[in-house]
Parts: sequence; C-alpha cells; structure tokens
Amino acid sequence: MKRNTIVIGIVLVLLTIFGWAGWANWEYRKQAADKQHSLEAQKDQLAADAAASTQQYSPSLVNKPAPALTLEDLNGNKVSLASYKGKAVLVNFWATWCGPCKIETPWLVELRNQYASQGFEVIGISTEGDDLAPGDTAGLAKDKAAIAKFVAAEHMPYPVLVNGDSLADKWGGLDAMPTSFYVNRDGTIIAAQMGITSKHDMEAYVRKALGTGKG
Amino acid sequence: MMSMRCTPAVLLLTLACAAPAQQAPAFDSSTRSIAKGAAVEYLFPEQISVPAGKPTSVALHFRIAPGLHINSHTPKDAYLLPTTFSIPADSGAALKDAAYPQGTDFVLPLDPDTKLSVYTGEFTIDAHIVAERGNHLVQAALRYQACNNNACMPPKTVTVPIDVIGQ
Repeated sequence: MKRNTIVIGIVLVLLTIFGWAGWANWEYRKQAADKQHSLEAQKDQLAADAAASTQQYSPSLVNKPAPALTLEDLNGNKVSLASYKGKAVLVNFWATWCGPCKIETPWLVELRNQYASQGFEVIGISTEGDDLAPGDTAGLAKDKAAIAKFVAAEHMPYPVLVNGDSLADKWGGLDAMPTSFYVNRDGTIIAAQMGITSKHDMEAYVRKALGTGKG
Repeated sequence: MMSMRCTPAVLLLTLACAAPAQQAPAFDSSTRSIAKGAAVEYLFPEQISVPAGKPTSVALHFRIAPGLHINSHTPKDAYLLPTTFSIPADSGAALKDAAYPQGTDFVLPLDPDTKLSVYTGEFTIDAHIVAERGNHLVQAALRYQACNNNACMPPKTVTVPIDVIGQ
C-alpha cells in the first residue's frame, strides 16, 4: 500500500513536471511568434516609410522645369540658371565640410572638361547649412573665404555660387550634401541624386541631359 | 533566436546597408532617412549634484545613430567641423573645461587613402562643471556634423538638458 502511494506520488510529480514543461514551452513559442510578428510589422513599416520618403521627394522635382535659381558667385556677380538655357547643366549643391563632396568634386571637374564642348556646364552651389541671417556680412565673408580656399584647392573651373541654403525650399529641402540635379537643354530636371555613387553614374546622367545617352 | 533580438536600430542599419546595392542612384532612401532624423542622442545623466563653486568632473553619455559617424573634437582636416560641447552663459553653471574622447580612424569606401577621425556608436565627454548654489536646469549644447558613407548632413546643435544641483 505504502509502495503504491509512493509510485502514484512520483507519477503525479512527473505528470506535473511534464505539464508545466509543456505549458512553458507553449508560452515561450507564443511569445516568440508574437515577437516575430511584431518584428515583421516593424520591418514592413520601415520599408513603407523609406519608400514613401523617396516617392515624396523625387517626383516633386524630376521631369519638371528646374526651379528658378539666381545667386551670387564668389566675386559678387549674379548668376542665373536661366542664362544657361540650351545647355545641359549639372546643378551641384555641396559644402566645404562635406567629405563625400570632396571625393566627388574631381569627377565633376573631369566631366565638365570632357563634355563642355558639347554644351555641358556645372554650377556648384555652396550650401554651408549655417543659416546665415540676411545681412550677416561677416558670416558670409567667412563662408566665402572657406569656399574660395576649397575652390582653389580643387581647381574647380565652373561657376561656384554661395548661400545655397536660401534655395532649400524650392529645391526639395537640401537635407544632405552633395545633392545634384541634372537639367537638360530645355531646362527640365531629368534626374537627381543625394549622396555620391560613382563618376560612371554621373556621366550617364550627363549624357542623358545632353541628349546623347539613355542615363 | 538571433533574429528575435533584432531592434529597430538593427533593421535601420540593415536597410542602410542594403540600399547602396541598388543601382538607381536617385535619392537613395537611406540617405534621405538619415537626413531627416537626429544623428546624436543624449543619454544621461539627467541630473547631477556637485559641490557649489568647485569644478566637478561629469561624464556625459551620447549615442550616434547606426550607420552614421560624426567628426571627433579634433578632425584631421581643417575643413571638417569638430564636435563641441558648451554651456550657455548665465545658466547657473559653467563649463570650465571638457575632455573629449579620442576619435577612431575611419575611411570612406570611396576614398580609402584618407583617414578621418570620428566618433561612432556611443561616446562620452568628460565635462568639468562649476555650479552656483541652487538648482539649475541647464540647457547645454552639443554641436556636431554627421555623415554616412555617401552623404553629409548640415552641422547641427542639439540641446543637452541637465538638472544641475549645486550644494
């Protein structure tokens, strides 16, 4: 009798352990599935946000006439994009503090020199992001000195304009540098880039803007 | 199991790494997303107690968003903007001095010959603060300039709120 009681007790203990283990395992799997589901949902949301961000920006300017652009160069002369009508123009927003811009600049110089005879020009627009107040001549002079130093060091043969920040609203925000717009001979933006990729990519867009390549 | 430990930050990094593989370079979405958010987040401390009138060392902890780097306090090139910490005048507390961490060497994939001095991940600034007696809600500031491998965001100044108690 005593032996049977012990056996029954052991069996009950084992059943309890097995039952608890099964429940714990089910609970663990349920939590894991919930986490995985939540993760997938987050991933989908991030992908949707990224896609929405791209769609929101790019179509707003590409395949449309380039916004008006008139700024001063380093000598105080006014330069307008409209005066380049009939030419393909790469409008390149850059900044002195931007490492990738420094990498990209020699590519721009080479492309400009290679395709200038076909009617191609680059307009560099320094966009320092320091939010100069109108009339801050000291701040502008400081910016100009740094820009002039950069232009000389990089042997930039094309017009370089200053105070690109003032164009941010019209040109899509200019949230990061470099940002480039490829304008064809009719004054339409045919492509845009934020950040650097390669000289090869840029050349394809230059050729497309000139009407000599697919881009 | 590892996949279940993924955080949104890891996912963002994954997306950022995956995006350059796409050949179409028109407004890369990862570049766009870094430009929209704050690159640096102040972590802690929210409150410090220091002896009034005596310079006291306080470790301020910051975190940089995944996939980004900011220049160290001593960038290698003069054209790059250093990371700086400051406390505005008349805050009830003043910054006597600040010890910045040494930057780590960093190379952009498209310019392997140029070494940059940057911070990534988490970093700590050792600020020597002198406070007047009393409780001061100090709106300190961190100025930095952030980039990823392909683009840079404009310089930015973020507020570093610290409740400084001078005893």
